[in-house]
Amino acid sequence: MGYSSGRRGFIPPYILGRIIEHGSAQQRERALGTLSQLRDLLPNPGPANRQRTHSAIAERGRAGEPRRSIHDAGGKTLLPGALVRIEGQPPTADAAVDEAYEALGITHRFFWEQFARDSIDGHGFALIGSVHYGTGYENAFWNGAQMVFGDGDGEIFNRFTLSLDVVAHELTHGIIESEAGLIYQDQSGALNESISDVFGVLVRQFKQDQTADQADWLIGAELLTDRVRGDALRSMANPGSAYDDPLLGRDPQPGHMRDFIVTRDDNGGVHLNSGIPNRAFHLAAMRIGGYAWEKAGRIWYDTLCDARLANDADFAVFAGLTTDNAMARFGAASDEAQAVRQAWADVGIVPN
Amino acid sequence: MKQLPALGKNSTVRLSRQGGVAAIPALSRPREIEFASCDEREREQVCSVLEGCVPFAAENAGQGDRRYFQIELRYRDDQQAGEWVLQIPEEHAPGDLVRLWKNGTLR
Repeated sequence: MGYSSGRRGFIPPYILGRIIEHGSAQQRERALGTLSQLRDLLPNPGPANRQRTHSAIAERGRAGEPRRSIHDAGGKTLLPGALVRIEGQPPTADAAVDEAYEALGITHRFFWEQFARDSIDGHGFALIGSVHYGTGYENAFWNGAQMVFGDGDGEIFNRFTLSLDVVAHELTHGIIESEAGLIYQDQSGALNESISDVFGVLVRQFKQDQTADQADWLIGAELLTDRVRGDALRSMANPGSAYDDPLLGRDPQPGHMRDFIVTRDDNGGVHLNSGIPNRAFHLAAMRIGGYAWEKAGRIWYDTLCDARLANDADFAVFAGLTTDNAMARFGAASDEAQAVRQAWADVGIVPN
Repeated sequence: MKQLPALGKNSTVRLSRQGGVAAIPALSRPREIEFASCDEREREQVCSVLEGCVPFAAENAGQGDRRYFQIELRYRDDQQAGEWVLQIPEEHAPGDLVRLWKNGTLR
């Protein structure tokens, strides 16, 4: 039997048009190859939020010292896979292993040095990463216990460990779970995604010693292959401008509330509407100037850890709390507080 | 456990893959199955696949950039019309669901 994937009904026509009319059989096949082994999958550890998982490395050492272990899933989807590098061991001959190790280390150092936060839970949570997950797998994720990185299909996506901000984005998902626990749906889900983008991009700027005006504010700039017409997965400075490709279509992220996308897909558009708070952060950081993690990042981090931030917070609530935290740290009439207020106004959000 | 609603000839099934850090809408590759264009045996096969997914349905299955399959059912009979949405985490998705989404066929 066969079923049509025609243009009727509620299939967005622009999606079908591009995939069916412009995607080669090879592109389609490779993009879907990730799933060929799904029948044999064993379940991931699941949402073991804040539970420590088995780690090959010793229990806590000194505060502020990372405890990394990198595993090789070997093209399968059983986690964590074979242990290949633990804390303190020298580089291997495997680029994905060493990229994951280094990126997790830099991210840990960023949170420790800038915010005195010791890992995901603030108490030295072991940083476990698995690389070579699946075959041509086009994703990276946090599963509640560890981070997982695919190799990409090589046609649209490179391996996901190439992007420091994406690795830091995934680790930040763990931090968010440990703090506000923002529900991954609609506006609270878009805030979850945005905060992960914010700290992902800050880790990269920190590593590259870039001020706000020197940075490109792109997420995943290393991930798209040369065959794709695009710069990155997302642009925090100009949401909606990251890619415009015959196969992938045009980056649909909005940068203002008037363009907010109401959708059932993607948990209510969490990766789409995150463009709005992403742009607000970029605007605040640019107005404040200097290293974005020192003031704007500090305000966002204070807000993430603010007990008033409910897990179902919407954009207006988050905007109000960032403004409060800017005033608390820098003064009610400070330039920093004014920059935050103006940033939210510029994206059409009235703080609650 | 939830039970699948009765799906008659007027039902429509939409399958898509959602989520992921690279959640580019075009990669969700939605596929629509209209029961009106299927024979009875085909409808039974699709219903069997969908029933096999129900135990794995989860809320907010995309958390932390995990990918998942979204099943959207629209059904209508003489008495009522309704809609049902299921999220199936990628790691739990039955092979037949993946095949149906990927190929539009269970063969």
